[in-house]
Amino acid sequence: MPQTFGERILYIWERYSGSFMRGAANTMVIALISTFIGCIIGFIVGIIQTIPTDRKKNPVKWFIIGIIKFILNVYVEVFRGTPMMAQAMFIYFGSAALFNINMGMWQAAFFIVSINTGAYMAETVRGGILSIDPGQTEGAKAIGMTHVQTMVNVILPQALRNIMPQIGNNLIINIKDTCVLSVIGIVELFYTTKGIAGALYTYFEAFAITMVIYFILTFACSRILRFWEDKMDGPDNFDLATTDTLAHTSGMYSYKAKTAGNLNSDSREGR
Amino acid sequence: MEEKNVFRIKHLGKTFGTHVVLKDIDFTVNTGDVTCIIGASGSGKSTLLRCMNLLETPTSGEILYHDEPITGKNFNQSSYRAKVGMVFQSFNLFNNMTVLENCMVGVTKVLKKSKEEARETAMFYLEKVGMAPYINAKPRQLSGGQKQRVAIARALAMKPEVILFDEPTSALDPQMVGEVLAVIRTLAKEGFTMIIVTHEMAFARDVSSHVVFMADGVICEEGAPEEVFGNPKTAKMQEFLTRFINN
Repeated sequence: MPQTFGERILYIWERYSGSFMRGAANTMVIALISTFIGCIIGFIVGIIQTIPTDRKKNPVKWFIIGIIKFILNVYVEVFRGTPMMAQAMFIYFGSAALFNINMGMWQAAFFIVSINTGAYMAETVRGGILSIDPGQTEGAKAIGMTHVQTMVNVILPQALRNIMPQIGNNLIINIKDTCVLSVIGIVELFYTTKGIAGALYTYFEAFAITMVIYFILTFACSRILRFWEDKMDGPDNFDLATTDTLAHTSGMYSYKAKTAGNLNSDSREGR
Repeated sequence: MEEKNVFRIKHLGKTFGTHVVLKDIDFTVNTGDVTCIIGASGSGKSTLLRCMNLLETPTSGEILYHDEPITGKNFNQSSYRAKVGMVFQSFNLFNNMTVLENCMVGVTKVLKKSKEEARETAMFYLEKVGMAPYINAKPRQLSGGQKQRVAIARALAMKPEVILFDEPTSALDPQMVGEVLAVIRTLAKEGFTMIIVTHEMAFARDVSSHVVFMADGVICEEGAPEEVFGNPKTAKMQEFLTRFINN
């Protein structure tokens, strides 16, 4: 065993880099897939919770939606309000004992992280939808869109853009929180490190490596998501269409820029 | 053009809780009419217009659109709104879409036309309001007057029978007011049926064929613009006009 801290780290890395990488890969697989599934759950729950119902206009719909909303509220509160580690134990061991469902370790892992993310995302999506100016809904309704059309074309794209930072947050939290899955035996990065540290009795060095790996994973993810956000916003400037913009697509309608007089105000390039 | 009722409003009332906003409103809009609704802020003008587009549900009375009550249970709200355009004070352009997409989305999604057709319709009306060069811009990149002109093009692209304007120039500075009013004037000349809530008195006098003056949730005075502005009968209208002239 080398004597200095730096050399010990190199020594561990040379010997166990494969294990670290496998652990990190497992962590990322669980985090990415579960965040994705969690977002879908969150969107479904969040959208249902913002369906407008009018007791007087349609009491049957009001009643049914009301019950569904209540059940979804219970789901959100229970999963947000209990620790994921306890849920992991409860679901993994409880599903076999109580319901005779023999859940595999991996199935349980995806299930637990997804359903947790879903509970948090549901509130995020609800907030995202509520944050959109009611004028957007009115504008959509005024041209005859139904509630579904309004949501799909106008509200959700804007809500999704607004909650992107929160989705990024959830992904990063999931990357780190998969370590609680070590309690049900998933060999992710934390579990791997514990093994390595125990084998050589080098906790400090092994966890130093792990910290760096976790940081690289989360930092890379947050940068990629930031890049994606910028892409969603579209370009900051736009081209003035002063030529025949329809010639290429239809070839039927000839557009002449008669309104060149309006262009003097400002072209707003490079804003 | 054949004189025909587009709207008949009968004993319309609207309350928010205990607050009475509209009381016993009666008036008729015929095809080709340009009706301007004027009055002080808080007199119920906007609420009346919002009731006509069912953005607010009337508490009492009825609104007949081609003799069909729009508050009925089996009334198809979406197809009604597609036929009655609305332009808002705060523009309400869809922030996630470009100017062109804003004008196309209703045509493709609500009227179920092809993209090509929607694009042509949208371009036609964008050119009419002088916004054709800006089709690739997002609403956040436009000035207020430009946004409002796009909003008018969006409403026109649906080829509506009536257009409701809810204080279309109130959020704009004087220079931009001019460009938006010019667009509305053109539409009036072309015979569009329009109902305009406005604070621009000179504009209301010039453009309208019928003026409705509201105060405290009731229609105080209505008639031809020359009558209402030139020879106001009620004390409230006289007082309202004096305030405008003094300003």
